[in-house]
Amino acid sequence: MTEIVKIKELQKKFGKFQALSDVTFTVGAGEVVGFIGPNGAGKSTTIRALLGIIKRDAGKAEIFGRDVWKDSLEIHKRISYVPGDVALWGSLTGGEIIDLFMKLHGGGDKQKRDYLIKRFELDPKKKAKGYSKGNRQKVGLIAALSVDSDLYIFDEPTSGLDPLMEAVFQEEVERIKETGKSILLSSHILSEVERLADRVVIIRQGEIVESGTLDELRHLTRSAVTLATEDDVSGMESVEGVHDFIQKDNQATFSADNKYINDILMEATKLGVKKFEAVPPTLEDLFMRHYEG
Amino acid sequence: MKEKFARWDILFLQYLKRDWKKIIFWILGVGLFSGAFVPAFEEIAKGQGLAGMFETLQNPAMISMVGPTPVETTADYTIGAMYAHEMLLFCGLFAMIMAVLHVIGHTRKEEDLGLTELVRSFQIGRQANSLAAMAEVVVINVLLGLFISGLLIVFNVDTISVQGSFLFGASIGMAGVIGAVIGLVMAQIMPASSSATGSALGIVGLLYIIRAGTDVSNVNFSMFNPLGWTYLTYPFTDNNWLPIIYALIFSVMMAILAFALEGGRDMGAGYLPEREGRGNAKRSLLSVRGLFIKLNKGVTIGWLIGFLIMGAAYGSIYGDMQTFLESNEMMKQMFAQSGVSIEESFTATIMMVMIALVSILPIVIVNKLFAEESRQHLSQLHATKVTRGQFYWTTIGIAVIAGLIGTLLAAGGLGGTAVSVMGDSAAMDISDFLAAGYNFLPSVLFFTALAALALGWAPRLGKIVYAYLGYSFILNYFDGILDLPEWFLKTAVQSWIPQMPMDSFDAPVFITITIISIALMIIGYLGYSRRDMVEGA
Repeated sequence: MTEIVKIKELQKKFGKFQALSDVTFTVGAGEVVGFIGPNGAGKSTTIRALLGIIKRDAGKAEIFGRDVWKDSLEIHKRISYVPGDVALWGSLTGGEIIDLFMKLHGGGDKQKRDYLIKRFELDPKKKAKGYSKGNRQKVGLIAALSVDSDLYIFDEPTSGLDPLMEAVFQEEVERIKETGKSILLSSHILSEVERLADRVVIIRQGEIVESGTLDELRHLTRSAVTLATEDDVSGMESVEGVHDFIQKDNQATFSADNKYINDILMEATKLGVKKFEAVPPTLEDLFMRHYEG
Repeated sequence: MKEKFARWDILFLQYLKRDWKKIIFWILGVGLFSGAFVPAFEEIAKGQGLAGMFETLQNPAMISMVGPTPVETTADYTIGAMYAHEMLLFCGLFAMIMAVLHVIGHTRKEEDLGLTELVRSFQIGRQANSLAAMAEVVVINVLLGLFISGLLIVFNVDTISVQGSFLFGASIGMAGVIGAVIGLVMAQIMPASSSATGSALGIVGLLYIIRAGTDVSNVNFSMFNPLGWTYLTYPFTDNNWLPIIYALIFSVMMAILAFALEGGRDMGAGYLPEREGRGNAKRSLLSVRGLFIKLNKGVTIGWLIGFLIMGAAYGSIYGDMQTFLESNEMMKQMFAQSGVSIEESFTATIMMVMIALVSILPIVIVNKLFAEESRQHLSQLHATKVTRGQFYWTTIGIAVIAGLIGTLLAAGGLGGTAVSVMGDSAAMDISDFLAAGYNFLPSVLFFTALAALALGWAPRLGKIVYAYLGYSFILNYFDGILDLPEWFLKTAVQSWIPQMPMDSFDAPVFITITIISIALMIIGYLGYSRRDMVEGA
């Protein structure tokens, strides 16, 4: 798979503050990468460095195999970007701003624009200063989705959107995904990332702490298991890979390391399994683990 | 009634707490500027100084700048009389502008920023914020007035009486209050804080120019001008408290009007109607140039109209000059000796003043690019194929063109009106005025270039360019009054340029400053093209 975005040991300092200390990840062609992390972890800084808005201090960052700082204009011809807080000129209408963004990007499909304006239920004749946060976000999204790009960078794109519009956004992103475009999606809405992303990259304090497909990440964590047996269940507590064991009569709940799940099952069958439920961790569980850890 | 202003006192105390540093800076700044120049004036007064200054200030150009004096003979022109004559109008204006900015900053601006929305969700009256901001500004101006009065008294000069000192302080404090109520009214009428600030400052500027005209033609008319009520108190000479009373009544009326207007509108709305916009962009908007022109259009047109009016207002004075000269034997001799006509001398002085004001517009336009950047308006544009060079040079281009047009309107407005009021006796034609105006073009370019340099390397310092412009303006403004040393004068860029038509054109200086300015712009570009964009800071 060709790598559309390639970042290696990216670093950025603001004054004394080390915003990014070691950011390394890639986005492959046709891949949707979820970029998650707590506030202030460096998501937006990474994206701004990718866009050539700020200059990195060290490391490598390439898009389409070109340097993001030196060849930014070549790169920008083929990308679309929506910031998390779309700031607009109060004196222009939403429609005017969308047209302007499309024109400055180059290309763009007027029919697609009109279709999106309708789908997102935006009133394009209103002056932008009258728009709510969600409506400003729609302006950014419509402009970005109406043009044809090879890479879409979304920085918390749905903040402020209502659940209906969030769903519209997700459908539209899936559509882009089907046409084989690459997407870097930074988001706090983990269900959104879970639904859309092929791979997930987690950043904390300027460092990538985890990356891989959701399945891979899940494998590294524990599932929540409920087990009921014919015989005394207490013996399970000492099995390798079992944690947080709580017993109530012959039923137990515990968390199990996914890599030991086979051993745990083997032990359990010896006791005569009446019930076995294993719930894989949600992305939220994964995320919380890094938050707290 | 109580409901509307509920808990204004809490907001008021909160403002004092929030602003105390600004307040100290404000009172010390304006106060020292207004009160601490007494020793300098004592210096000037030595020997024949007072008499000479009295004659100099009879010149209509000087009257139009600093205002009139009630004193009729040289003998009565004391240090106190001179101090009030030269300082009061300018200091009052200063206090007024500070108050305008402060009041709008705490009322309309907070609304625009969404802070008011939050505040009003508590048990706070709908109009409590405006009352608190007004109360704060009144308190500040009372303190300012007292500080200035005290300062003047401390210098212990015979002709600077205690009563006069209090009147001087009160006049400046009152000017601040007038500015505050003008600001408060415009904050209700206009649809946003930027237009409120622009229109309020525009009104102050207009009042200043109108009084320049009436001071020269018939000073009684200046009594109808709110700005006139500050300096027509004539401290240390007539000690006339009546204008202060007029100003008080005016301020109370304007405040009532403002509160009534505020009561009748929704938060965030103004009285000027909002039209429905276009669903699609016009072709002319669809480029960086089109966008930037559109973004700067309102401000630019406002300033340009201001320049034209300013030029025309000063131009209208030319008709009275010969009459004035006939009535003043000593002035007549002075001009006859120097070989320069009174019109030429006036043109030279006023042109310097006007072009300094014209320079504000290009600085505004250049600083706008950084404002756009820090408000994150450009984040999405940075992700397109638009280069930083396009942003930068488009802005510089618009700024320079605005400077060129501004100069044309100011000099043309002055010349056009002057030539028409002088009629057949005109010794100068319009081309002389335009030449005198464009003679200062390098200074306009220089200020534009300084702003550009800041934009490229230290964008937060962009505002300091205004400070330098203000500094050079004051230096040149007082050059005619105080006898400043040459090296000190030369720290203002305009001082390098000869004042046409009194002096003759100096091509090397013109070209040198122009080239330096262009070089600074290029250096600014080098910074802009490689620095981090600042977002949301």
